[in-house]
Amino acid sequence: MTGTVYTETVVHLAPEAFAAEVPYQVAIVTLENGSRVTARIQGERVAIDDRVQEVEVREGVPFFRKSA
Amino acid sequence: MRPVAVIGAGKTRFGALADRDLRSLAVEAGEKCLKNGHLSPSQIEAFWLGNFAGPSFVGQNHLAPYVSTALGLEGIPATRVEAACASSGSAFFHAVSAVAAGLYEVVLVAGVEKMTSQPTARVTEILASAGDCSGEIKAGSTFPSLFAMIARRHMFQFGTTREQLAAVAVKNHANGFLNPNAHMRKLITIEQALNARPVAEPLGLYDCSLISDGAAAVAITSLERARDFTDKPVRVLGIAQASDYVALDQKPDITTFPAVRKAAEKAYKMAGLDAKEIQFAELHDCFTIAEIIAMEDLGFVPRGQGGPYTAAGHTALHGELPINTSGGLKSKGHPVGATGVAQICDLVEQIRCEAGERQVKRHSLGLAQNLGGSGATCVVSILGSV
Repeated sequence: MTGTVYTETVVHLAPEAFAAEVPYQVAIVTLENGSRVTARIQGERVAIDDRVQEVEVREGVPFFRKSA
Repeated sequence: MRPVAVIGAGKTRFGALADRDLRSLAVEAGEKCLKNGHLSPSQIEAFWLGNFAGPSFVGQNHLAPYVSTALGLEGIPATRVEAACASSGSAFFHAVSAVAAGLYEVVLVAGVEKMTSQPTARVTEILASAGDCSGEIKAGSTFPSLFAMIARRHMFQFGTTREQLAAVAVKNHANGFLNPNAHMRKLITIEQALNARPVAEPLGLYDCSLISDGAAAVAITSLERARDFTDKPVRVLGIAQASDYVALDQKPDITTFPAVRKAAEKAYKMAGLDAKEIQFAELHDCFTIAEIIAMEDLGFVPRGQGGPYTAAGHTALHGELPINTSGGLKSKGHPVGATGVAQICDLVEQIRCEAGERQVKRHSLGLAQNLGGSGATCVVSILGSV
């Protein structure tokens, strides 16, 4: 699955469940069909309009990475 | 529908009040309000309590009768209203509706939150439960991060800058500095705001409202009877509540809040007023970007102009449209469930010319905007002198 970054943020202050992972990036991704999903970004930081592709779904949470 | 007026208002100090519990805060605000409206508990026919997360913050449920009985309100309907950060704005909306419909003559509305007994990470988790826990929250979103994503998009589409966001914080801290009941009475500079530690980029510590304890209450009756209680009644000219998706990723455009636009449109229509006629406002600045978007959605400025308008000083205490003369959620504090009614108290104070050093010159027509979550609930109230 691929899409485009609609918006993003890097989280520095998180609840305990995510505290070990800060700073981490969250983005809202617009998918090919026009729907949107809130996803975690792996690897390189992304910016609005960057193309991204899904790399895995972990416990219902989609993880995306910047497209090559 | 008959016209309605606020006849009494009371608030506690906002802050990290270690020695105070939820009920004592709500009772203090309620008693101050009754005294202010020259009311005895036996005159109150119904009670609404806005509270977001008492069960999570302090482990207490069934909050409305828990508070009402302590206020000496015996046997009357007592109802808790939960709508995230718009909980007590919504409680006020429902109370006004009931009095306007003729169901009751005199009612009391309070809002309360006791937040500081939990560590910040746990507070962040509880606040996040006002988002969509099946999607955005599971992915690691926090409330600051939702508004950070809104800010990023607003910057991208309209060129809003971090300096303009900082200008909101600097202004609200300047107002709160003059408010004896504010949580953080501290002046800050643009540089301090810009260099503060990041919470969720592009938002830093000074872009975020405070974690506070506090309560507020107002008493309302029909306009016809208002002068039986006070020589300073404040009329509710227009009020509306609207809703929208809870999850940010379901909104087609996150740089505007449809619930704010809908509530504003209805409230203006009810009041027979135009946005340009509003003289001052208390807006829901849970994050600096939220104040900027609220100004745009309420029609005070065109879309994209909230940042430049703020940076130019027009919303300062003695600017052309003073916004958050109380200090706002940013400096006055944000005990979530108390905020909506506290905004009403702040309007009443200005309209009655009781705001002391913060008194604005044009004070006969004010607007309060109370936002829940990332825009899923909004209540807009327009109050004016009688």
